[in-house]
Amino acid sequence: MQPSVTPDAISAVLSNPSFDSSSSDRPEIVVQVVDLRPIGNRYKFDANDGKMKVQAIFTPSLTPEIISGNIQNLGLIRLQDFTVNDISTKSTKYFLVTKCEAVASALDSEINLGSQREEEASEPKKQKLDHSPVNDAKTNVSTGITLKPKQEFVSKSASQIINEQRGNAAPAARMAMTRRVHPLVSLNPYQGNWTIKVRVTNKGLMRNYRNAKGEGCVFNVELTDEEGTQIQATMFNDAARKFFDIFHLGKVYYISRGSLKLANKQFKTVQNDYEMTLNENSEVEEAGSEEMFIPETKFNFVPIEELGMYVNQKELIDLIGVVQSVSPTMSIRRRTDNEMIPKRDITLADESNKTVVVSLWNDLATGIGQELLDMADMSPVIAIKSLKVGDFQGVSLSTISRSNVMINPESPEAKKLKSWYDSEGKVTSMSSIGSMMSPLAKNGSRSMYTDRVFLSHITSNPSLGEDKPVFFSTRGYISFIKPDQTMWYQACKTCNKKVTEAMDSGYWCEGCQKKDEECSLRYIMVVKVSDSTGETWLSSFNDEAEKIIGCSADELNKLRSEGGEVNEFQTKLKEATWSSHVFRVSVTQNEYNGEKRQRVTVKGVAPLDFAAETRLLLEDISKKNKASH
Amino acid sequence: MDTSSPSVFVNGALLRRFVGQKVRTVIQVMGSDMGSVVGKSTDDLQIFVRGSPPPSLTTYLEVIGIADSENSIRAEVWTNFGDSFDALNYNELCKLANGEFKHLFI
Repeated sequence: MQPSVTPDAISAVLSNPSFDSSSSDRPEIVVQVVDLRPIGNRYKFDANDGKMKVQAIFTPSLTPEIISGNIQNLGLIRLQDFTVNDISTKSTKYFLVTKCEAVASALDSEINLGSQREEEASEPKKQKLDHSPVNDAKTNVSTGITLKPKQEFVSKSASQIINEQRGNAAPAARMAMTRRVHPLVSLNPYQGNWTIKVRVTNKGLMRNYRNAKGEGCVFNVELTDEEGTQIQATMFNDAARKFFDIFHLGKVYYISRGSLKLANKQFKTVQNDYEMTLNENSEVEEAGSEEMFIPETKFNFVPIEELGMYVNQKELIDLIGVVQSVSPTMSIRRRTDNEMIPKRDITLADESNKTVVVSLWNDLATGIGQELLDMADMSPVIAIKSLKVGDFQGVSLSTISRSNVMINPESPEAKKLKSWYDSEGKVTSMSSIGSMMSPLAKNGSRSMYTDRVFLSHITSNPSLGEDKPVFFSTRGYISFIKPDQTMWYQACKTCNKKVTEAMDSGYWCEGCQKKDEECSLRYIMVVKVSDSTGETWLSSFNDEAEKIIGCSADELNKLRSEGGEVNEFQTKLKEATWSSHVFRVSVTQNEYNGEKRQRVTVKGVAPLDFAAETRLLLEDISKKNKASH
Repeated sequence: MDTSSPSVFVNGALLRRFVGQKVRTVIQVMGSDMGSVVGKSTDDLQIFVRGSPPPSLTTYLEVIGIADSENSIRAEVWTNFGDSFDALNYNELCKLANGEFKHLFI
């Protein structure tokens, strides 16, 4: 008899969240593996009993079984041990298979006892098979071929229309006359028919991506209208290929028939609540001969002094500064793919008498970077759009693919900066912003901030950090370190990312894509901190936790494993408790079980500088006295 | 804590208000010989300290004793305060302890 699935296996799985693998009279559960696909170092699949499907994951330890072909897509497996998980935020359930055995190799097709849905289910299923390592190439090719002409037909007809329109001399003028041009600020997702007139103020590179749904390409542009409102527009696949050559940086276009949606705050680069998606039916026409007073790239400059707030945030910033020095190009090996990339560092200064290093990458390093090197003695002013703020050397800035560098721009800010530099900046001594940011800077507790608060300030404001993380300094005592918490994780010795234990021996790093015989432990722990006003839990990562505990996670782990009468591990934690530090913390909001929670993270720890602390207290006393008189 | 004979925190200027009473102050040592030390108070005045100083002195020195005159102290207790000491903070402490917050000090 041909092996088959257990009837109603999925309901049995779902109603049996704690499967007792030791009991002998457990029901036999056989399911079919469909849509098997790798997710990181694990494999995900849909468990099928012919009636229902539910998502499931094989633990990494089963990965070799799949690679060896023991467990196959469309094959049958007998579940021996599994755990059902509820993802509380989603309505979908999934379960984790920790132990199973293969019953049958790949069947011809997906078992479907309820045949009414077969038609609709078969097509997407075959496409998804693309990503499974054991797919049937022939079916795929044939499906691919039959589908393709259809899609191309659609795209061609649309582009033909555009081409015809562009061949005609006056379409742009006609479009402008017949349709009212809407200001960008008036657009919203609920409004159908609009035309906008915008300048392309930034054009990204075409990027290829690959995800669970397949491969594709994408690029985006930033558009600015004559009022200076900006919006980001994204194009995928056919639309991306179609418009990539049409959009030119700096040119003005009429655009209609795009769709709007709420902007993803995490990735937004321009000030707009919405972002635009253009599909292949959207209309884009260059506004050729018309008068154009649409502004050039709009900047939102951040003074160097204030860069600290943006460190390691997703938000990109714009910067204007006087070039102090330009380095030769260097070649940096990128960790992810070992590619060599050119890089050039330039130092910029502004009116806050601070300097910062900006790393130009790729073409910006070789092209505009060379230009800057040649004219560095003339101290040009440069404006850079879209920079990433990192914490290398305290604060450092990096260009990304869509960064935009302008030399001596014609703007009031540039003029002001130039005249400041010529009159006083040239002779003023500047200090690097990075050195002031570092918690290790000479004075220990002295940061550039004067934002010292008590713990109650943080705990009594539950909405702190709602929009973006806020930073404070605070002085407090470590009052409790829970000894039975997970204090560390196994980390890759190269990139510090989490590693998983490999089957035979050693550790696999997803980030480096390689195995190492050893790993190091890195702290990730919470400690309770108290001051005169209250107490709160602080999350702390390796470098900060090392300072709090006084030894590395590896050493502490060794003490813990030693055990013995005098528990050195407990002693170490006791020693760390009731010592005071100055903490630099960030406050953010996290969703946890559908509930918003404040998360306070240690960004820096410094020992108390008693003299400096006393000075702060004296300042406070004199401020209070002044206020009361 | 022994509160039977309290000593007042003073700097150079405050010393004259407590002649005949027990005071404590910190000075920066300028010179010393067998029976006395000359130092600079935290508010930059010269103070003579008499008594028997310890054999080796650090840059900063705390003395507790009776104020002899407006610029001299007969010291009973000598404590080396090391080579780095924030004189400015100490000076402010003396002012607060004898002014606004006098009630907090014995």
